[in-house]
Amino acid sequence: MFMFNLLWLIPLFPFTAFVLIVLGANPNKKLSHSLAIGGIGLSWILGWLTFFTAVFTPHFGEHPVRLTFDWFPTGNTWFETGVMIDPLTAIMLFMVPFVCLMIFIYSVGYMGYGTEHVDPRYSRFFAYISLFATGMLGLILADNLLLLFIFWEIMGLCSYLLIGFWFEKKYPDPRQITPKQAGLKAFITTRIGDVIMLLGMLFLYSRVGNLTFEHIFSHETLHMLAEAQVTLPLVGTLPVATVIAILIFGGAVGKSAQFPLHVWLPDAMEGPTPVSALIHAATMVSAGVYLVARMFPLFAAVEHGPQVGVVAFIGAFTALFASTIAVAQNDIKKVLAYSTISQLGYMIAALGIGAYVAGAFHLITHSFFKALLFLGSGSVIIGCHHEQDMMHMGGLRQKMPITFWTFVAGAFALSGFPLITAGFWSKDEILAHAWEGFMHEGVVSWPFYVWLLLTIAAFLTAFYTGRQISLTFLGQPRSHHAEHAHETPHSMTVPLMLLAFFALTLGFAGIPEEIIGHGRNWFHHFVGHEFAATPLSVPVMLLSAVLAVSGLFFGWLVYGRKPLAKGQPDPLVKALGPVHTVLKNKYYFDELYQATVVRGAIGLAELFFKFDNRWVIDPLVNAVGRGGAALASGLYRFFDLPVIDGAVNLAGKVGVALSVALFHFVDMPIIDSAVNLVGRTGAALSAAWDWIDLHIVDGLVNFSGWFTERVGRAFRLIQTGRVQNYALVVVAALILLVAVYLLR
Amino acid sequence: MTLAKTLALLSPELVLLAGGLGILLLDMIWKDDEGKKDWLPYLTLVGLGGALAAVIVVWRGLGGGVSALATMLDVDALAMFICLMAVLVAALVVVFSVEFVRGKTPYRGEFYAFLLFAALGIALMAAATNLVLIYISVELLSVTSYVLTGYLRGDAKSNEAAIKYFLYGAIVSAAMLYGMSLFYGITGTTDLRGIAEFFSDPASMSELHWVVFAAMVLLFAGLGFKIAAVPFHQWAPDAYEGAPTPVTAFLSVGPKAAGFAVLLRVLIIGLPQFEADWTALLAAISIVTMTLGNVVAIVQKNIKRMIAYSSIAQAGYILIGLACLGADNYGLQGVLLYLLVYLFANLGLFAVVIAFSNATGSDEIEDYAGLMRRSPWLAAGMVVFFLSLVGIPPTAGFFGKVLIFASAIRTQSYLLAAIGVLNGVISLYYYFNVVRQGFFLPPKEAAPIPAAPELRVALLVCMAVVLGIGVFPQPFIQLAQGVARLLAI
Repeated sequence: MFMFNLLWLIPLFPFTAFVLIVLGANPNKKLSHSLAIGGIGLSWILGWLTFFTAVFTPHFGEHPVRLTFDWFPTGNTWFETGVMIDPLTAIMLFMVPFVCLMIFIYSVGYMGYGTEHVDPRYSRFFAYISLFATGMLGLILADNLLLLFIFWEIMGLCSYLLIGFWFEKKYPDPRQITPKQAGLKAFITTRIGDVIMLLGMLFLYSRVGNLTFEHIFSHETLHMLAEAQVTLPLVGTLPVATVIAILIFGGAVGKSAQFPLHVWLPDAMEGPTPVSALIHAATMVSAGVYLVARMFPLFAAVEHGPQVGVVAFIGAFTALFASTIAVAQNDIKKVLAYSTISQLGYMIAALGIGAYVAGAFHLITHSFFKALLFLGSGSVIIGCHHEQDMMHMGGLRQKMPITFWTFVAGAFALSGFPLITAGFWSKDEILAHAWEGFMHEGVVSWPFYVWLLLTIAAFLTAFYTGRQISLTFLGQPRSHHAEHAHETPHSMTVPLMLLAFFALTLGFAGIPEEIIGHGRNWFHHFVGHEFAATPLSVPVMLLSAVLAVSGLFFGWLVYGRKPLAKGQPDPLVKALGPVHTVLKNKYYFDELYQATVVRGAIGLAELFFKFDNRWVIDPLVNAVGRGGAALASGLYRFFDLPVIDGAVNLAGKVGVALSVALFHFVDMPIIDSAVNLVGRTGAALSAAWDWIDLHIVDGLVNFSGWFTERVGRAFRLIQTGRVQNYALVVVAALILLVAVYLLR
Repeated sequence: MTLAKTLALLSPELVLLAGGLGILLLDMIWKDDEGKKDWLPYLTLVGLGGALAAVIVVWRGLGGGVSALATMLDVDALAMFICLMAVLVAALVVVFSVEFVRGKTPYRGEFYAFLLFAALGIALMAAATNLVLIYISVELLSVTSYVLTGYLRGDAKSNEAAIKYFLYGAIVSAAMLYGMSLFYGITGTTDLRGIAEFFSDPASMSELHWVVFAAMVLLFAGLGFKIAAVPFHQWAPDAYEGAPTPVTAFLSVGPKAAGFAVLLRVLIIGLPQFEADWTALLAAISIVTMTLGNVVAIVQKNIKRMIAYSSIAQAGYILIGLACLGADNYGLQGVLLYLLVYLFANLGLFAVVIAFSNATGSDEIEDYAGLMRRSPWLAAGMVVFFLSLVGIPPTAGFFGKVLIFASAIRTQSYLLAAIGVLNGVISLYYYFNVVRQGFFLPPKEAAPIPAAPELRVALLVCMAVVLGIGVFPQPFIQLAQGVARLLAI
């Protein structure tokens, strides 16, 4: 149990690496990557030690470990925070640090260490990915939603920084998205989900007054949330638990790139490939699925509530939708990007229909084989001198054997090649669960649609995977770059081999009990002891095996049997006709959002701007100008004259001197500034139309800053530097204070 | 109470006194040996370490209670809290001074001795419950401060600052003494508890109400001078600018903490019946203080003068807490936590200023251009400390402001809270003007800025504490709660 007391150290190692690289180590590239790899390496060691401790702790699932402390006062109570480990966190601790470590090692080669192509911001890259890893590790260990959200946002920031890492890159085609734009797009799109999620958190906090998972998921709280009703305009009356679940799901939709917020993820390919692997496998998108898995009790609180349908449908639809797009992409990373969206859809759909264990299982296996595929594609890209179009590849099997074989392992796992790949077992469990629900509830139930959509998607997945292998590795080179391809350095190939091992074998942790005997389904036993196991369904298993093999076969049949020649178009273009164009353009979602959301937001902003400029700012400026002048003359007439009189009576000549000083140093500046103010107001009025380009906030801020500074100058004049004057002020102040009291 | 027990309770003060005398003695013995005199600051630190240990031992021994010594001193959590701060301030200032004082004055030993005596003054002010002892300890702190301000005898600015500080101090000290004599005249006692007892009779209270207020205002002149509250603030910019910079650092934190401690005691123990009166007075002073401090800080070009006005404004924020004590004690907690947080942020800022001025000889804000390229550590520290002074998380200042503003809101003083927040916005402007210089303007010279190892340590400690409290505020808030509980009305 001692291991659990060190949990909080796990995210701290990469964070320390980040701080050290940023503050000191960055001029030294070797030191920088050593720090980053060392940091995540320590996290990995500690993470796996913790994982195995958890595995060998009897009845671990019933007794999650929490380390908490009071964080800050909230009224008369304290907000508790801390780290927590339960089986879900434990299996994430198995996956995240290891995959991150592989990606970090791989990055040394990818970013060109020791070659003349070394990236000019090499050290910064390692700082960012260390922070990224910190975000993910902190997120899985957080024991409350607020802390989780903080790390969630750290990852959001890192994704922005890393996707736009090559921010200076420009393309000749203005329609092609640049890294800078892609980073912004990822940030803003996920932010839409984050805001919805934040609303859910606030709603939850307002109802429960606590955000720790232990408290939220206690039986009483869940019961209370499920019983309480809330009436929403347009929607009607719903249980509070349902509303909160759907709002929090909004965050997952953004982070895990589910329809309709999926648009950022394919463009995220503009980042360096290790970043793509990091985002797609170990960290960012997994975080969304993890969130839904973490909040699963809340999603399950209201049985058959609308939240089930929302989650299941969005997941299943995304799975099919993205896999159709993947079929028509030619960029090696874009195919993988859409396959990620599609696979995440599987996990979300699984969680939607209540297949908690299957969803978590697929999350883990997918992370391994997707990291492998991305790193493999990165290896291909480096080997082909930054060529990413599969139409310009081909024949890389002989030139890059390690990359080829490991890529095949990952690709087979992705398509669910029967028995010997991890993807087969995890995907099959999701399908089996959906099938069981369908058998139970009939064709008008969610499980049926989920099963149907996912089964079609499974075939398409195998097909585009076969297409990708054939186009990239088989046949003859179709370009100069592919002809001169070379295998990549060991820092890149070793992580590939290690990941390939897990991509093939990890599935054996979750083989159904019907095949290997009761109580032997380790994964289910460890993660989902409170859930009934998904019964084995032989037809489903046979069907998915057949679909996987036939999909791969068709892919080979179309693209591998008679390899494409140089310049030959994709046979699918002819076969599918206009459908292919639609798929290739991703159903025109980018264009749609551009025309509606982006244009709409800009139009609205312009409208408000014009409105404010004509109706608010100008009158405000006038009012302040008149007010200032009135204030100055009022002060002079009603305040200073009596004060001067009093001072004269009080202190004779000294008083006169004081009054003169007051007049000179207080009133003159005030009148001056008022005059200036009026003058500037006139100027501002005449220049009002020029102001249209100015932002409203800018204008106000500048104005108040200018005004405050003026007042500051006026006051400074009292500070004459003569101690006699100071003494006068003291005496005057004392008399004034006593007088105010006595006369009140 | 036995003599031994009394001495034990006074051990922090005694250690400070012995330390100061010891340094003076060694300075005389090592008269002609400059090499040996290099040890003096470190010996001072040893003395302060002893005082720190004594504070901890006595504090633990109190067990949450109060030990009153005659009618002169209360040795309680508040006294220990402020004494702890005095020791910390003195220690950090010693660290700042090592390089600064070397070569600038032939009288190094006395400098450190005076620092210890000033710390002793603060410790006594924090514990005093008798007007006479309050006056004497205030004077002890004042006189040592005057001397320290004018320590650079060859420097005209330093001399001018000292004489102004002294004259101003003499005037307000006279006013304060007058106020004290009025209290004695009314009540026939100088003991704070005795005063409170006298006023607990409603008849005596209504009859003498008007004199009490005059006495209160006069008393406040002396304490307002110590905390640099408007209108008793005018000495501050001149003294801050002219004094040797480590002394400025001391003046910006030490006397302020002590002044607030005395205010707390006098008002809460001595004048609880007049709460409505002093609350109104302090609220008004607070509004004027923060607004004037922040607004005038905007136009400053010298960073020491800017910090002077900023520290006037900070006193204004802290006064909010005193003006809004309230039933749930947020005000007191806020005052205490804010003082602690302000100590580290302001001294950290001075570490940056001193390192910069040691290297460049300049205190002008415009010379900070390009600081980030010349010394990333100084620049990073500066940002952290400014953030804390504004009160932006994840820095310690955030929780200081949270408690202070919470106290205002809990007592329905929404105006105070609103003005406080507005002032926070104004302060952001001039703080980040320096940051803008440091980060976005090209450096005038490319030479990196070296910092003495002692300064680097001090800078790192201050950064660690400011960020540490900002991320893990709980133990510190609980500390403030513990002290505040004792004082609650």
